[in-house]
Amino acid sequence: MMDPLLRVENLVKEFPGRRSFVDWVRRRPARPVRALDGVSFELRAGEVLALVGESGSGKTTTGNLLMGLLPASEGRVVLAGDDVGRLSGRGLQRLRRRTQMIFQDPYESLNPRMTVADIVAEPLRVHRVTASADELRARVERALTSAGLTPVAAYLRRHPFELSGGQRQRVVIAAALALEPSLIVADEPVSMLDVSIRAEILNLLSALARDQGIAVVMITHDLSTVAAYADRIAVMYLGRIVEHGPTRAVLAHPRHPYAQALLSVVPVPDPTTRRRPVILRGETPDPSRIPSGCRFHPRCPVAFDRCPMVDPPLFEVGPDHEAACLLHEAGGSG
Amino acid sequence: MSVLIEATAPPAAEPARRPWRSFLRHRMGVVGAAMLLIALVVAVAAPLLAPYDPYATVRVNILDIYQAPSGAHLLGTDDGGKDVLSSLIYGARVSLIVGFAAAAIALVIGGLVGIVAGYRGGWIGSLLMRITDFFLVIPDLALQIVLVAIIGPSLGTIILVIGALGWTTTARLVRSQTLTVRERKYVMRARAIGAGDAHILRRHIMPAVLPLMLANMVLVISLAILSESTLAFLGLGDPTVISWGQMLNFAFGRGAVSAGAWWALLPPGFAIVWVVLGTTLLGTALEDALNPRLKRHHLEAPGGDVARDREATPLLPPATDAASPILRVSDLTVEFDSPGGPLRAVDHVSFDLRRGETLGLVGESGSGKTTTVLGILRLLPPGGRVVGGSVWFDGEDLLSLDGRALRSFRWTRLSLVFQGAMNAMNPVRTIGDQIAEAIRLHAPETSKQQAAGRAGDLLERVGIGRRRAGEYPHTYSGGMRQRAMIALALACDPDVIVADEPTTALDVMIQAQILDLLGGIARDFGMGIILVTHDLGVVAQVCDRIVVMYGGEVAEENGAAALFASPQHPYTQQLLLSFPDVAHPDRALRGIPGSPPRLDAMPPGCRFAPRCPHAFDRCAVERPPAYATPAGGRAACFLLDPAEEHRP
Repeated sequence: MMDPLLRVENLVKEFPGRRSFVDWVRRRPARPVRALDGVSFELRAGEVLALVGESGSGKTTTGNLLMGLLPASEGRVVLAGDDVGRLSGRGLQRLRRRTQMIFQDPYESLNPRMTVADIVAEPLRVHRVTASADELRARVERALTSAGLTPVAAYLRRHPFELSGGQRQRVVIAAALALEPSLIVADEPVSMLDVSIRAEILNLLSALARDQGIAVVMITHDLSTVAAYADRIAVMYLGRIVEHGPTRAVLAHPRHPYAQALLSVVPVPDPTTRRRPVILRGETPDPSRIPSGCRFHPRCPVAFDRCPMVDPPLFEVGPDHEAACLLHEAGGSG
Repeated sequence: MSVLIEATAPPAAEPARRPWRSFLRHRMGVVGAAMLLIALVVAVAAPLLAPYDPYATVRVNILDIYQAPSGAHLLGTDDGGKDVLSSLIYGARVSLIVGFAAAAIALVIGGLVGIVAGYRGGWIGSLLMRITDFFLVIPDLALQIVLVAIIGPSLGTIILVIGALGWTTTARLVRSQTLTVRERKYVMRARAIGAGDAHILRRHIMPAVLPLMLANMVLVISLAILSESTLAFLGLGDPTVISWGQMLNFAFGRGAVSAGAWWALLPPGFAIVWVVLGTTLLGTALEDALNPRLKRHHLEAPGGDVARDREATPLLPPATDAASPILRVSDLTVEFDSPGGPLRAVDHVSFDLRRGETLGLVGESGSGKTTTVLGILRLLPPGGRVVGGSVWFDGEDLLSLDGRALRSFRWTRLSLVFQGAMNAMNPVRTIGDQIAEAIRLHAPETSKQQAAGRAGDLLERVGIGRRRAGEYPHTYSGGMRQRAMIALALACDPDVIVADEPTTALDVMIQAQILDLLGGIARDFGMGIILVTHDLGVVAQVCDRIVVMYGGEVAEENGAAALFASPQHPYTQQLLLSFPDVAHPDRALRGIPGSPPRLDAMPPGCRFAPRCPHAFDRCAVERPPAYATPAGGRAACFLLDPAEEHRP
């Protein structure tokens, strides 16, 4: 068994909460916002993991911790043997070379005054990868080619405003590829793009994982966009992974009631598929007031007496497939 | 290693010199630049141009004083018997030196203060901005007079004082630009790459700030020249040099007015106006060209939002009976003004909405779906105009209603649920109040209690509950606000609700709740709903009929089941293939090569032809009309033309 490239161990992130006036009057300390509450997973080179969740699930915080943009409160992120949280200075710089991020909005994440060549060369310049102008140019061209922006010469001197949304997102991807990273964190990489463009960008990301062995963490709220691309899916709820398994198994037989509900409401472009959507009432609770026991029990359609008392760990429900629900305790089928 | 998924190459090169072009379009700016250039040439070439040397010492002859203009002295002589024209020409040197040098000082101070305050922020930023505010409110001229009088008037002092007091506008401008750029995603991306402050300042902040500073510099120069002239006129100029202000000072002080020597007064005054006007014109034009936030709406429409060609409009209303559609849109055409001529965003769009029906208007960005509904509602942004077609609503042509009739029509019969529900509510009034207000506005006979009661009922219906009627919008979550927005749309019991991307910014579960709510409302109230969205999944779940738009046209229309079961237009087919489906995760998604057409570069024939896998020669030149499809709908594609030979 190959060693995982990325190992995330029991990651916790708390943000200091805002103290309300009532708190201040009653001399109560501010409630910390527990954005991440014990998240663990592993990722091998060339694998695509989808972190799926609604707002408040902690998926974006996880991405920021993986990138070393925020320090973890507890737990570790280990990338190829290095503890990301302990890195500083040069070590952190080296980490930045190995992990790259793709942001949601290709319209905003490119400097409108720079040319495509400058944008893709920027990370190489920041890290002083090479002093030779020829090598710089060669690496920029290689990155653009990998991102599917060919013929390269047609793009080098362009400014972002001359490109379509899909082309811009490819430029963002090319800039991420320039440093030849081993991990790419893609935060909602297609949600701002037109539907007809999305498939190409997602195909590109999964081809990069397959062909160049880059591990990809895809953060999204949309189960349907990752269905055809991720190797594994981790469904997050209120700072925890509540279900985790191979994409096909999770989509075909979701075991956690939240994952089941989430999957049931994803719109399907086929009016003849009359499903029975499980529409949960209310919204994800405030992460500064995480419910007792199972954090999902107040909205769970199948909660029973023990749920408010016991905080369920991930139980194995199938090969490489886990769900944090008491219904699956002792490997039983729920 | 090869990745075979390629983007299509961008269209032919278009030079990226937009600021320069938009500057040239500004004629006044060119005039200003020419005026300033003339002054510069005069200043540099003064020894060559001036007929006399005003710095040469000459014995004053009483007869030389205040001589009227003549061949020897084109602008006459001054109180010292010197040639006014020569002094005027040499004066340009001092005025421009002071202007440029003082502006340089102001720019350096202002730029530094602005960048540090904007980039660092925190207490340093606040402190710097308070200092800037302090300098901004004290009267410049008074302080300049005091300072110059204390330090002693010399050219250096004057430059220093004007520069040291003139940096405040620059600082504020630079700070706000720095703040905006600092918050940009591309700066965040640079940080994620690992870039330090120096890199971000050099590569991202400075390029955005420098053009603004250039435009600002020109305006600072004109202020500095004006200040110098004022100081000199007040007798605080450097007595050893000749400047225009100095000339005026001497002329006024030494009897030019009583001597009737207008030639000693007017030319320096004119010169000051010339340079200040030139720099101001230039500066304004530069600012317009370089500062995007000042860009005015050249899109402002001169007339109303409807400018139809009357003859082309069918004025007969369609028959109105219970079975007839409540809303009939026919050949609706909308154009937007642009510097390059009108752009057609919606082109002959027609569809019907029957009572109680939910119609999905689907399309990608630029398809014209939102513009279509804004045209129907007469809510087009400035510069947009309905140029053709008609919108019949229950026997009335909406496009011919006047403002008053339209307003009373809008909420009572046809109401709207926006995408950004967060911004559509007044933050300082309670939700219940706002709904009650809408009710009373359109039905003034309703009492306050009745209206409040009805607002409570509506909140109950949309799943919020009447006990939250007294809360303010900020206490509501995104999903709750969208529910409140729906309650507001229901307030006057309309026949039709237009919902423009009502769930786009919401989480999947909240989206499901809102769609469920809309579906329930359509059923219970028998209301027609137009759902505008890019999401085929959403329309598949809730719509009875679907209109697919592409490039401002209707590509295909059909009942929901038929459209999904047998799409006829290649665009619909391709779009369905690129739409992910959790029910079939194994199906590979295909995407459509290329991207939707831009308004200013519409293909001449079929709009979809450049991306269409079945396109043939006719598609590139001719626009396909709508053909009936075997599936019972209509689609604008030549493949469906019964007379077309070229069929698959």
